[in-house]
Amino acid sequence: METKHDNLNPQQSLEIISDMINQVKGNIRSSSFYFLLWGWVITFCNVGMYYFFKYTEYQRQAPLVWTLCIPAWIITMIYASRQEKKAGVVTHLDRISMWLWIGMAITIFPSWIFGEKINWMVNAIVLMPIGMATFLSGIIIRFRPLILGGITFWIAGTLCYIVGPIEQYLVGAIAMVFGYLVPGYLLKKSNQ
Amino acid sequence: MLAELDPLLHSQLRLGIMSILMSVESAEFTFLKEKTNSTAGNLSVQLDKLSEAGYIHIEKSFKGKKPLTTCKITNKGIKAFEEYVNALKQYIKP
Repeated sequence: METKHDNLNPQQSLEIISDMINQVKGNIRSSSFYFLLWGWVITFCNVGMYYFFKYTEYQRQAPLVWTLCIPAWIITMIYASRQEKKAGVVTHLDRISMWLWIGMAITIFPSWIFGEKINWMVNAIVLMPIGMATFLSGIIIRFRPLILGGITFWIAGTLCYIVGPIEQYLVGAIAMVFGYLVPGYLLKKSNQ
Repeated sequence: MLAELDPLLHSQLRLGIMSILMSVESAEFTFLKEKTNSTAGNLSVQLDKLSEAGYIHIEKSFKGKKPLTTCKITNKGIKAFEEYVNALKQYIKP
């Protein structure tokens, strides 16, 4: 692209504007990494909780499995920062997406801290905002499996109010498989 | 009477840069160079002109040991771009 002044007519100006907008239109980052990382971490935590509560005496220590989320958060932040530097551009939707997930994390954080007060029935509370963030991410990147993943979380979240306090961990684990892992692997495949 | 087109925006490369920056939060120099298909020298000169006019904000930092230039459109730049598009509409109206 050169720096021409005189021979640029209004039609050409409009073409430049629409060309450039089209160039950046498909630039939304759609990394499967986060869904796979968190899918495995939370599935493992849920299965761990179910196992400790159902088959062992270590019920007081069981919630410690959630501390696995701390390294997962650190990995997430390092990865996100590297991706942003690598992409060379930050779109408005990237920014919205980032704040959507940070907002979701803030929403569910107290339930992990004060989980004991609600008999560790955290899945009923956390799956709903996770469903909303997943559903909206699917809308943002226009990826149907993620939209269906979000709906899965909403159904699972509702189901957690019906099943027993121990079984809700199994519901949570299954929701993670269909809400995060399956769409995550499909997204990875589509990006390749 | 037809509105005058902003001479600072009425150039192929500068209009291209501003159109990209209108659509994103921020963009690095290499990204702008790739998308506008321009040379580093020419892009650098045009970015400086837009920056001097207050249309864009340029932030210089380092990515490892390499210098990193990140550009962002300013409120003044958004207003100028909108006025340019409005003026353009008058020229195109049948």
